[in-house]
Amino acid sequence: MKVNEKKWIRFRVYLVAAFFLLGMGTLLARAYQLQVLNKDRLAFIAHEGYVGTIKLPPKRGTIYERDGNELALSIEVGSVYAHPRQIEDKNNTAKQLSRVLGERRQKILKRIKGNRSFVWIKRRIESGQAKQVSALELKGVGTTTETKRYYPGKEIAAHLIGFAGNENQGLEGIERKYEELLTGSQYSLIQMRDALGRHFSISRPIPSGHEMRGLVLTIDKDIQYKAQQALQRAVEKTKARAGHCLVVNPETGEILAMAVVPEFNPNIFSKYRPYQWRNRAITDCYEPGSTMKAFLLAACLEEAVVTPYTNFDCEHGKYKIGSRTVHDTHKYGVLTVSDIIVHSSNIGAIKIGDKLGYERLYKYTKKFGFGRKTGVNLLGERNGFVRSPKKARRIDRATVCFGQGMTITSLQLVMAMAAIANGGKLMRPYVVKAVVDESGRVIKEIYPKVVRRVISPRSAKKVAGILEGVVSKEGTGPQAAIKGFKVAGKTGTAQKVDPKTGTYSRTKDVATFVGFAPADHPKLAILVMIDEPKGISYGGVVAGPVFSEVGLWSLNHLRVNPQIELVDKGTDVEQNTDKLSNPGPQKAKKPPVKVEAGFLPDFSGLGMREVLKKGRSLGLKVVLKGTGLAVRQEPGPGAPLKQISSIRVSFSPPT
Amino acid sequence: MFDRRLIQNFDWVLMVLLLFLAAVSILNLYSATYAIREVGGGQVFAKQIYWFLIGFFVFLLMTTFNYHVLERFAYPVYFISIALLIFVLFAGRVTSGSQRWLSLGPISFQPSELAKIAILMVIAKFFSEKGGYQEYRLRDLWQPFILIGIPAGLILKEPDLGTALLLVVVSFSIILFVKVHWKSLLILVVSALAVAPFIWFNLKEYQQMRILTFVRPDMDPLGSGYHINQSKIAIGSGLFWGKGFLKGTQTRLHFLPEQHTDFAFSVLAEEWGFVGVVVLLLLYLFLIVWGLNIAKESKDKFGSIMAVGVVAIVFWQVAINVGMVTGLLPVVGIPLLLFSYGGSSLISTMAGMGLLMNISMRRFMFQ
Repeated sequence: MKVNEKKWIRFRVYLVAAFFLLGMGTLLARAYQLQVLNKDRLAFIAHEGYVGTIKLPPKRGTIYERDGNELALSIEVGSVYAHPRQIEDKNNTAKQLSRVLGERRQKILKRIKGNRSFVWIKRRIESGQAKQVSALELKGVGTTTETKRYYPGKEIAAHLIGFAGNENQGLEGIERKYEELLTGSQYSLIQMRDALGRHFSISRPIPSGHEMRGLVLTIDKDIQYKAQQALQRAVEKTKARAGHCLVVNPETGEILAMAVVPEFNPNIFSKYRPYQWRNRAITDCYEPGSTMKAFLLAACLEEAVVTPYTNFDCEHGKYKIGSRTVHDTHKYGVLTVSDIIVHSSNIGAIKIGDKLGYERLYKYTKKFGFGRKTGVNLLGERNGFVRSPKKARRIDRATVCFGQGMTITSLQLVMAMAAIANGGKLMRPYVVKAVVDESGRVIKEIYPKVVRRVISPRSAKKVAGILEGVVSKEGTGPQAAIKGFKVAGKTGTAQKVDPKTGTYSRTKDVATFVGFAPADHPKLAILVMIDEPKGISYGGVVAGPVFSEVGLWSLNHLRVNPQIELVDKGTDVEQNTDKLSNPGPQKAKKPPVKVEAGFLPDFSGLGMREVLKKGRSLGLKVVLKGTGLAVRQEPGPGAPLKQISSIRVSFSPPT
Repeated sequence: MFDRRLIQNFDWVLMVLLLFLAAVSILNLYSATYAIREVGGGQVFAKQIYWFLIGFFVFLLMTTFNYHVLERFAYPVYFISIALLIFVLFAGRVTSGSQRWLSLGPISFQPSELAKIAILMVIAKFFSEKGGYQEYRLRDLWQPFILIGIPAGLILKEPDLGTALLLVVVSFSIILFVKVHWKSLLILVVSALAVAPFIWFNLKEYQQMRILTFVRPDMDPLGSGYHINQSKIAIGSGLFWGKGFLKGTQTRLHFLPEQHTDFAFSVLAEEWGFVGVVVLLLLYLFLIVWGLNIAKESKDKFGSIMAVGVVAIVFWQVAINVGMVTGLLPVVGIPLLLFSYGGSSLISTMAGMGLLMNISMRRFMFQ
């Protein structure tokens, strides 16, 4: 190619390039004109197809119990609407709808008669029914999906969770308290006009700044169920007015169960009276009675004003304070501090309290968390009331020692007991363990929090030791004992003020038992309160058995090893009653597991943890079944280790 | 014949540019068919990926021979395509009122796509042989006019106004490139204006309507002007940043017609806004500039003219399609090249791109 020609081509290419660039520039300018300069006009036209919106209730996040089972969830339901203006044959439409929906024809006809652009025909129906409606393909009639709150556990933890209303708004309990987190973006049914002017609707979320969150509770649904069941039975049996049962983990303050009787079903909450919705374990204050003696004791031991062996004269059941006389249920002479607690002598308690002084007692009741909110993040928590030293008369100072003349909530009481159980720290109770997103990923975790140290671990240990005596045969609460475990606790039988007369009633009592187990390594702190039981109303007799039942079941459920020495001997109680008739279980002196080299040892009578440890140390895969102590194993003891790689061990609760 | 230098000269820029455009196209097509995915939208999307794969194969195939071979085969190919264009008028498949498709067993294609490349070949051959670098006068141009006129007329008869128009403007671009005397150019333009009324009365009624509604789009907003109005609304409502991927309301609600073929650009404009439009147009612009660069560097006139021709096809298809959907030009059914759904057009475009690559790879070789 000649140089000339090369030059020529170059020039022509530039010419064409210039032309093409101009063209592309024109296109860009046009796009700029449409998208940036004319934006308002065209964006407005884009919305012209839009007619109006109907707001749909927002979806709500799921509430899970600690193991991930749903306690409250949103389910999809269908709703039927109509654009009356577009319905040509209104009679026929109404007839067909009434057949599917089971509504009166006249009622539907009345709705679609008018000339409105949008009406609801029926909302929140089964999605199958809604599908039937859309299958009819009626002109001007449409269906959409909405969500509705559903509580699969019905009464389970109902007072704690509360419920959401018709518009999916939280009305009570956690549903209301965590409204902000649980609420998802609101949906709106957007009515549009298509290119040919026909109306149609689409459902889409209204963009909102926040996302829907779910909650994981500290509640264990099995323990919760057991607590509700046992409590319900006890309330029915004693014809009581109401009852609470709280189970908490004393180390962390996690609430594992919060049962309130009478129960209600949140799925049909409107069928109940508002007072039945209330979470009485935190909203109702009552006089605790003798359970307070445990905290009096703790204060005295911490301040070292008495020892467990200090003697006090219990005046044979009658003690005058000013013009009034305080009575004991049984008449006692001189008792040690420890016995005063075990036998629950009011007079003894007053004398111990005198030694401590009311100012200090007041300080400790406050430190244990009475008279102020626990800080549990729930709706409607109350303070309770403890009289300040300035206002307390002589008689007031005396009665507080046995828990009259002051009020508490059940949650305060169980948390104070938990403080003794965990070595003296008052924990903040909590029910929400974690906040999760829609796919269940944890967004935020809530950790245990120590509110304050109340007493030293040493004092706590001493108090626990004395409280163990309460469930012994001599104590006031042997019915609260749990077979196979050491239990520490305190009974309470408080008199109630009769609202009519304004004085203490002779027939209305509050029976309580609050304690923890196993006493030396507490896993659970449990409170049982029964309001106005008929007949015998002693805390030990009425509330004790519920404590024992819930406690045993929960400890087994949590796979806490029973204490073997107790199983072997029988519990403290049994030992005292059947000393002669029962010379102790067969394996009174079980030889320790002998590991003969090369052979499988006998695991029977061992707890799960030991079986696992031993089994693994032999290099075996251990399969555990049941709860309690080992009773069977496969292969049996003495099998040569060379031939086996795994063993199955069955457990059953000790009897 | 495949020596090492060819591999070394492989034009990676062109390759990467095409891959980019393919990716953008497929992404956009996914969104455009998202609303109809239950009634076969997903199939459209999957098919386009498959067409792109075939397209890239054809692209590579077109680089395997020296482009000078085409100079020899120009007329045979041209006559075959004329024959096919005649054939399609009798035996073609009728879709939406026009006969553009030839079925060959399972595959069907548009002969007009082949005609585009054939015309390019004969014109390039004509101008590279006749005359060096002097100005062409009208009397020199009667031969190319006939070469263009026959296929253009046949395509107009199908009827496919868009492609016929494209052929004319692409050829005009090449004539501009090879330099025509200014007097001749003037005569050309004047005579074009003179025959315009004649063309007008020969147009089908729907074609006349399109042009009328172009002039007054609000004349019949729900009828003929509907497409262009909805398209403008879609583009305009995208604003600067767009509504977001899969979020275009005009697209979702089917306000937009032909959203995966002729109006695919509107989907992009609605969802990605002005920013997306700029990116896409810059990609095309880069392709055009790169193609012209190949034309400039080509070692002979035939290569240069071929390259300019391919670039002209790119430019005019983009200009006509984008001009149409933005309301700058009347509605003529031309898909956006390398972007809209459609196998036949994609493969002929990729063949054209292959030619460009072929010319680019051999610019340093002397025979």
